[in-house]
Amino acid sequence: MEREEGNIRNTHRISKRTILFGVVPFIVIGAMIVLLLNSPGILFQSSIKPLPEISIEKVEFSDDTIVAFVRNTGPSEITIAQADVNDRIYPAAIEPGQTLTRLTDARVIIPFVWNIGEPYSIGITTDDGTRFEKTINSAAPAPRPTVGQASTFALIGTYVGIIPVMMGLVWYPFIRRLSPNKYNFFLSLTAGLLVFLGIDALLESNEIAVNALAPAFNAQILIIMVAIVSFISLLYVSQRLIQRASKRSKPDIEYKTGYSSHSEPEPDLELSDTRTTSTSIQQQLVIRPIAISMMIAIGIGLHNFGEGLAIGAAVLLGEVALSSFLILGFTLHNTTEGLAIVAPMAKSRRIRVTKLMIMGLIAGGPTIMGAWIGGFLYSPIATIIFLSIGAGAIFQVVYSIGSWMYHTNGSRGLLNNHSIIIGFAFGMLIMYLTGLLV
Amino acid sequence: MRYPRVVVLVGVAISIMIFAISTMLYSRSSLSDQNSSKLDTVGGHTPGYPILQTTGDVLDPTSIVINPKTAVVEPMKYLREFNYGRISTSSNGTVIRDFTLIASDQQSKEVSPGVFYNVWTFNGTIPGPTIRAAEGDVIRITLINNGTKFHSIHFHGIHPSEMDGVFEGIAPGGKFTYEFTAEPFGVFPYHCHMQPLEEHITHGLYGVFIIDPKQGRPQADEMVMLMNGYDTDFDTENNFYTVNGIPYYYMHHPIEIEKNRLIRIYLLNMLEFDPLNNFHLHANMFDFYKTGTKLIPDEYTDIVTMNQAERGILEFSYKYPGKYMFHAHKTEFAEKGWTGLFLVKDGTTQSVNENLNVTSIRNITDYSTSDFNRSTNHVPTGGVK
Repeated sequence: MEREEGNIRNTHRISKRTILFGVVPFIVIGAMIVLLLNSPGILFQSSIKPLPEISIEKVEFSDDTIVAFVRNTGPSEITIAQADVNDRIYPAAIEPGQTLTRLTDARVIIPFVWNIGEPYSIGITTDDGTRFEKTINSAAPAPRPTVGQASTFALIGTYVGIIPVMMGLVWYPFIRRLSPNKYNFFLSLTAGLLVFLGIDALLESNEIAVNALAPAFNAQILIIMVAIVSFISLLYVSQRLIQRASKRSKPDIEYKTGYSSHSEPEPDLELSDTRTTSTSIQQQLVIRPIAISMMIAIGIGLHNFGEGLAIGAAVLLGEVALSSFLILGFTLHNTTEGLAIVAPMAKSRRIRVTKLMIMGLIAGGPTIMGAWIGGFLYSPIATIIFLSIGAGAIFQVVYSIGSWMYHTNGSRGLLNNHSIIIGFAFGMLIMYLTGLLV
Repeated sequence: MRYPRVVVLVGVAISIMIFAISTMLYSRSSLSDQNSSKLDTVGGHTPGYPILQTTGDVLDPTSIVINPKTAVVEPMKYLREFNYGRISTSSNGTVIRDFTLIASDQQSKEVSPGVFYNVWTFNGTIPGPTIRAAEGDVIRITLINNGTKFHSIHFHGIHPSEMDGVFEGIAPGGKFTYEFTAEPFGVFPYHCHMQPLEEHITHGLYGVFIIDPKQGRPQADEMVMLMNGYDTDFDTENNFYTVNGIPYYYMHHPIEIEKNRLIRIYLLNMLEFDPLNNFHLHANMFDFYKTGTKLIPDEYTDIVTMNQAERGILEFSYKYPGKYMFHAHKTEFAEKGWTGLFLVKDGTTQSVNENLNVTSIRNITDYSTSDFNRSTNHVPTGGVK
């Protein structure tokens, strides 16, 4: 309001009236809420108590105790009455207390001498006698945030994220030397890989949403929502990146010839609305691939963060036994991600190794952080959110690659080119086959 | 180095966001210790298991005493309570015993500490009252249906068809008197026989009916034990197993008996869903009289297995003082509530509490141990008075 002081009275009055018109519906809603809450039974009456619902979000096994994290995901307050292990009642403690209001959670601590590698089902019974159960396929000690465990996760992250991406980057010189048709093949192969990754992320988050989260969270809608928002906002960011790069096309050429990037002024962070209409298509063609590659790196980085969360959580929940074979599978599967990063850049100018490395780190590094967070502070909803952001990011990248290929191919169109079709199909097939290893 | 700089910024922003979201989610699910002044102890019943101190609540039916005000039955009272009816004599000298049973199906009562279930009851309890008569007595049982569904009483034993409680149901608000001569002697179940039978039985409409032989049985400390279960989540599998209505009750309230004194248990299995159930006595053997219809024991054993409605009489005495377990030797049932203790005393009077291993008594304000000691005035009968 302070800023609007200079406005003429007239506009001020109108804005007040506008506010009033905006507020009236809220007053009506408020009155309705008061009416409904203060006249129980007059309007709607039901003698049926709503069914309780709780979800056991996580079960941790530690020294002679089993800890179950439970959340009230039902419509009303509930009281937890009993806990059991394998359907046998055991004494337990519940903290902070046995009465849970809607969407709050508690920890059920059961003293129990459990055996490594055996399945356990943990049951929680509410005061109306309903029993809820979660089965852990193989009990394993919960990872503790120790230096040793953190470095184990870091190592897993390195193998699953950084190394494969870097390995993929090594294809850079190879792709540079390809003829346009073969290059199209590899670009569309990249698009295929990414589409697979995106679908995979959506399916995986759907699986988590169904298995680990209560319907109260509407997690499946959340997946679609987050993916769409991620898609459109990254699309916006990438357009801005390209626009800015186009504007600064002059230093770009300097960079290309003299590598004098250090003497360059700091990039202007404030995005101007003035469009550079003079930017030629050719300049765009030089700049866009790198922007696309960077967007791919960011997208894959987001995806790998989600993947890291899922891996860490799987270790925490005892759902996977970590083995060299599993890690190898992930490594092979993710090598294709590096290929995806280098493919769009291959036909532009030469690119520095450090730049490639940075892109590799952006794409692969988040896996480590994801594994730490997933392994130590497992949260299914965070995993879903990041997998969906990653999916949206990946689809944005696919869109960018597609539109770039469309422009570079001129009037031939995308679907008339057999190498593009084959490459796309082949990319998905590679992912499917390497996915079998995991 | 243009793009990397932007990207580093984006990267930093993303990681800050990631940490913010995850710590937010974590701190929401991590727990704040609110009232650390109150510390309860959990566990300690099982050797080798850790004992926990908690600031929260304790979930433990093996040590938490159910609130007698909301409990579906007081197992200690039920154990030695035999109902002989209002006695009158007919012109030809036959003893007539009048009983009244009120059926209801609308109450929600506690069947295990903290667990409430819609119970269907005779006279407000599961199991219903133990009805006792002597062979040859005329018994008249008036059923008043206070429920919302048709109910009936079907007695096992010998009686005319119209007294069988199967083809005529008593409508809600209705009333009917079953009348027949008690025969033969033995232990019998009674239960509602309306359809769906499974539903009426599993909700709790049953009890024990004892017919004593004319000459009576030897003097003993007599008790009745009914084995049942509750399927509180309606998945046709029992969530709780009990003897005398409340899981684990006799674990924190052991049944006091005297050393070398003859104990007689009238045992009935009314468990629904599970095909069989059993009774195992620790550190002892018992004479088993199947169905109680003979005066000579069928078996000398420490375990007896029964299907639904099977029953019998157990006779034993303990040679050594101490605590002895009795439970279903179907261990699943034992570990879901069908476990209890005898406390064998040396004859000297000694407070129960000294031997109790109750780690937590909660929600109880007006409960005193005298309540269950008082039941001795029902105890030592050698037959019908």
